[in-house]
Amino acid sequence: MRKGIISVLSSVISILVGLLFGLLLLLLVNSGAAFSKFGELLTAGVSSSAKLAKVLYQAAPLVMTGLSVAFAFKTGLFNIGASGQYTVGAFAALIFAIIFQMPWWVCLIAAMVAGGIWGFFPGLFKALFNVNEVITSIMLNWIGMFAVNLSLMNIKNAAGKLIMLPPAWVNSPIKDRTADLSYANPSAIIPKAGLDKLFDSNYMNISIFIAILFAVVLWVVLNRTTFGYELKACGNNKNASIYAGINAKRNIVLSMVIAGAMAGVGGGLYYLSGTAAYNIQKVLLPMGFNGISVALLATSNPIGTIFSALFISYIQVGGESLQPVFAKEMIDIIIAVIIYLSAFALLTKTILGRFIKTDKTNVNDDKAVEAEAAAEQQKEAELKANEGAGILPPTVEGETVPVEENSEESEDKAE
Amino acid sequence: MNEALNIIADILSSTIIFAVPLVLVALGGMFSERSGIINIALEGIMIIGALMGCLMMVWLKPSVEAGAMGSQLAMLITILFSAACGMVFSLLLAFASINLKADQTIGGTALNMLAPAFAIVLTWVVQGQGQTTILIPTWARITQDNFGIEKADNFIQNFLFKNLYLTTIIAIALFAVAVILLYKTKFGLRLRACGEHPQAADSVGINVYKMRYCGVLISGFLGGIGGLAFTLAAGSGFQSTVAGYGFLALAVMIFGNWKPWSILGAALFFAFFKVIGAYASSIPFMPQFKGLEGTSTYLWPMLPYIITMVVLVLTSKKSRAPKAEGIPYDKGSR
Amino acid sequence: MSEYVIEMLNITKEFPGIKANDDITLQLKKGEIHALLGENGAGKSTLMSVLFGLYQPEAGTIKKNGEVVKIHNPNDANALNIGMVHQHFKLVEVFTVLDNIILGAEPNKMGFLQKAEARKKVIELSERYGLHVDPDAKIEDISVGMQQRVEILKMLYRDNEILIFDEPTAVLTPQEIDELMEIMRNFTKEGKSILFITHKLNEIMAVADRCTVLRKGKYMGTVNISETNKEELSRMMVGRDVQFEVDKGEEHLGDVVLKVEDVTVPSKLHSNNAVKNVSFEVRAGEIVCLAGIEGNGQTQFVHALTGLDKMSHGKITLCGHDITKASIRNRSKFGMSHIPEDRHKHGLVLDYSLEENLVLQRYWEPAFQKCGFIRRGEVRKYANKLIEQYDIRSGQGSITSARSMSGGNQQKAIVAREIDKDPELLVAVQPTRGLDVGAIEYIHKQLVAQRDAGRAVLLVSLELEEVMSVPDRILVMYEGEIVGEFDPKKVTVQELGLYMAGAKRQEKAITEESEVAQA
Repeated sequence: MRKGIISVLSSVISILVGLLFGLLLLLLVNSGAAFSKFGELLTAGVSSSAKLAKVLYQAAPLVMTGLSVAFAFKTGLFNIGASGQYTVGAFAALIFAIIFQMPWWVCLIAAMVAGGIWGFFPGLFKALFNVNEVITSIMLNWIGMFAVNLSLMNIKNAAGKLIMLPPAWVNSPIKDRTADLSYANPSAIIPKAGLDKLFDSNYMNISIFIAILFAVVLWVVLNRTTFGYELKACGNNKNASIYAGINAKRNIVLSMVIAGAMAGVGGGLYYLSGTAAYNIQKVLLPMGFNGISVALLATSNPIGTIFSALFISYIQVGGESLQPVFAKEMIDIIIAVIIYLSAFALLTKTILGRFIKTDKTNVNDDKAVEAEAAAEQQKEAELKANEGAGILPPTVEGETVPVEENSEESEDKAE
Repeated sequence: MNEALNIIADILSSTIIFAVPLVLVALGGMFSERSGIINIALEGIMIIGALMGCLMMVWLKPSVEAGAMGSQLAMLITILFSAACGMVFSLLLAFASINLKADQTIGGTALNMLAPAFAIVLTWVVQGQGQTTILIPTWARITQDNFGIEKADNFIQNFLFKNLYLTTIIAIALFAVAVILLYKTKFGLRLRACGEHPQAADSVGINVYKMRYCGVLISGFLGGIGGLAFTLAAGSGFQSTVAGYGFLALAVMIFGNWKPWSILGAALFFAFFKVIGAYASSIPFMPQFKGLEGTSTYLWPMLPYIITMVVLVLTSKKSRAPKAEGIPYDKGSR
Repeated sequence: MSEYVIEMLNITKEFPGIKANDDITLQLKKGEIHALLGENGAGKSTLMSVLFGLYQPEAGTIKKNGEVVKIHNPNDANALNIGMVHQHFKLVEVFTVLDNIILGAEPNKMGFLQKAEARKKVIELSERYGLHVDPDAKIEDISVGMQQRVEILKMLYRDNEILIFDEPTAVLTPQEIDELMEIMRNFTKEGKSILFITHKLNEIMAVADRCTVLRKGKYMGTVNISETNKEELSRMMVGRDVQFEVDKGEEHLGDVVLKVEDVTVPSKLHSNNAVKNVSFEVRAGEIVCLAGIEGNGQTQFVHALTGLDKMSHGKITLCGHDITKASIRNRSKFGMSHIPEDRHKHGLVLDYSLEENLVLQRYWEPAFQKCGFIRRGEVRKYANKLIEQYDIRSGQGSITSARSMSGGNQQKAIVAREIDKDPELLVAVQPTRGLDVGAIEYIHKQLVAQRDAGRAVLLVSLELEEVMSVPDRILVMYEGEIVGEFDPKKVTVQELGLYMAGAKRQEKAITEESEVAQA
């Protein structure tokens, strides 16, 4: 309970400092417009039901990429490749929607599979060859983006038309984005279930609920199943998990596959909304990287990702109202600052821990035990002194250092 | 025959110019990791270096064009400014990972997200709303004019002057300095000790924090110049991105096994594959993919990334990272 | 001029929640060997870290030759001519011997290394003191004994006069220990003063002039060795009479449980093998000890035996099942339990709670899961049973994070988990490492109880006292081979030492044993 409060508080502090930094930046760039625009940034998300709908609409894929990163974190892996997995997920969803004319849920499954495949490779290389997954998944981000673009520009139907692009369907000169689902295959659009009328916005559909469902499922998997027990054991202490007979290599691969699948679903949710088309461009999609922010803010808790995704989506919608006076990338700066701060969450938490006293229930009533533990702690300190005071900091939940060689050596070896 | 020679000259000179940022940045990563800090923020450092360098060129442009300042003196100032800004930016990583003992990968990721956003915002501020490109002036390149040599269409001149920038010359010098610094000096010995066994270094009175700061700052210095070198190599302007070269440089560093000479080889290897892709259509024996659209923009650019992965997988068994990298060093309760 | 070269007066050093050193005084005379005695965790290393400048004390003063000095870091200590051989060597493995010696005191011109003169000095020193080393060998390629010589040369290279040896004998054979003591005596003849940290009474009696005793961070007094004896020292150290012997009755041998044939394990560092053609058997109802100096292949052998690493050749049979290629999980199912050498690296998931750690080997059993979902109630019930039965103490019972538990209780939790699995074979690797006397006695009792219950126990130990007192049979391992088999009742420590150092070997030990098995 106490741990949870501290986690939330430290995230809130990171957010507040990040926002403050953003305000300072606005003041520096254009002090005249800074306060009014900053106010708009903070309120835009709830200024109308349509804006709120947009917040929810963008939050859905963010929850998914956030889950992707968070799930990998739990196994001690840093999935910086959510962007590529998201892209190939979107691609697969659109292929199934446009070429195979499948209903939306089949397209989502296709997205999941494609994302999973894209997550499989970094996992496999990590497990078999111990290649750093950060490097491989970055490479796969670029490969994925290039491959998807290349495919979209070249897949032709029997008539020789570029079937993924608008000219194959309607009279349109546009060739740099995919065809609109409203004419290419309306059944592939994610159902709106009347929510669009409720919110009076075309953006609103059930995707946020699908995302929340996934978050809950992942929470259950991680916290209630033997599979989750194994995954977290691998993430916390790979050596101990191997010692316990857990197949660490299989778990690394599975974890990356699931992480990739989540990001893939995110891509599907976004591009099957009927309101977004995939732009053929040379830039990695930021949705995957924002997933890192979401996961870190949520301290890798699947339920937490729902809230942190809503927050990030909220300020992004707010960020649009900054234009044209300020670049909307201001928001990215704010998010980057927030992550930078959450990187030393450990420190924030220690400081917070001093302010928040232990719960009554946690108080140790057995004085003897306490005394003994203190004596033993003395010994641990002693051992550390022995090692020239080299201390491995306790790894915070889900924030294990991904480079595994480093954790090999247990720092306080006994005398 | 002449045409073939010209293509070879082009390929060689392009290989070198693309290898330069890779070597510089990978060497930067090497210094940082050899001191014990994983520097995943190289991409961000490059962007900052490129951004500030390009802005400096914009500021110096009037004086150069008015003839008040020599073009290569302006370039030297630009390079130093890029390096300085890279160092300042790298301080953010050093502070988080050394003083605050933050997770180095996450801190680096934050900086990688910060840099492009910052670059866009600053570009707007300097260039006006909605402007996203900073153009590189033509005088940045070293030409025959700088030496007063007659232009001629021969192999030597094509090879030397097709893509010659001051950054290339400086990179060669910096490489030599890096090798000597790492292996022949007191500083290098101490830096390497900090990345392998900081407790040992500490026990003989070496200030581990200081050495790690030095390592990260050197990576900022080299990363900043590397960012500028990349932008010069990539073409006409800076668009708030270095296209993943920071990460490619990390891969080069790993492939180069954290050793300068191997890094040089690895960088040339990768640059060669990048250039081969770009020149594929003019090389007779390369597959041409005639039926496909967008091969030059989408297919060939994949090549260096795919090769990187394959190479990393193949060389993974031999790779040996500095033992203490990524682990925050804590002196204890002092 | 003061009688003492170094005085540490009324030193107090606190860590959050505990006083590691509480008002401790230590006075070192010029030219003496002064022992610092105490159990694991008594505060010896903390005190030396204070002297060496790694920690700043909250109270107390340090004097050199009667003058108060401040030691802020190892450089200050070095400037005062204080040097230290750390228990865990502070050597950079990928560096050469020479680089390690000069590190931090590099001869240089304008920052450029001048290794030639350093090499000359090192060779000269090593010849003068008989500390043979190869300056160009890499640390990772040389033996532990030679690494220690490098550490000593580091001090000599810096012309240190006050030499601190932190548990220097833990990694040495009895013969090497004798050599070291001779070297220490030579140093004192040259006027150097030595602080010798240890918890081994025999060594103190053999070499020290005086001894200061610490217990639980407190100063227990300083005695002249000529006026004391082992029993008095041990009472000062532990605070009660210590039982040196382990209580155990006659062994009742049963069937062969573990049969190891020709096991060979490749080394990860070198091209040669870490374990070479090891064969032996362990029967039900006996404790067999694999003894030897650290780094002679014991770890690699255990890893191969328990499935953590692959072996290149040989066969392992457990209760009739060929487990040579079996997975770790299957070895466990066939009845192998493993108390690992490093409880933090292998034994526990430190961020898991105690109850989660207690089912680490069994969470997959139907008793604890249903259709992949963990039966949390059952886990809790089982954990509470073990906690009570094995007296595992922790702040919040079964939900305590393993990280926050004391080392002794962490080890108890592992022992409970492994024993309660009801194994046929218990592999216990250095199970008492880093524990205090009470916990050591407890663990030894548990091992003997397993033996008496008819299980086979394979103990791997580096501690000679443990090797002599706990097992029914000793196998000595040297450079990856088993070089001798002994009955602990019939062999002396000196004899064992010769085998551990590779000076002697029984060629027939192995063949004899297999003949017995066949007969």
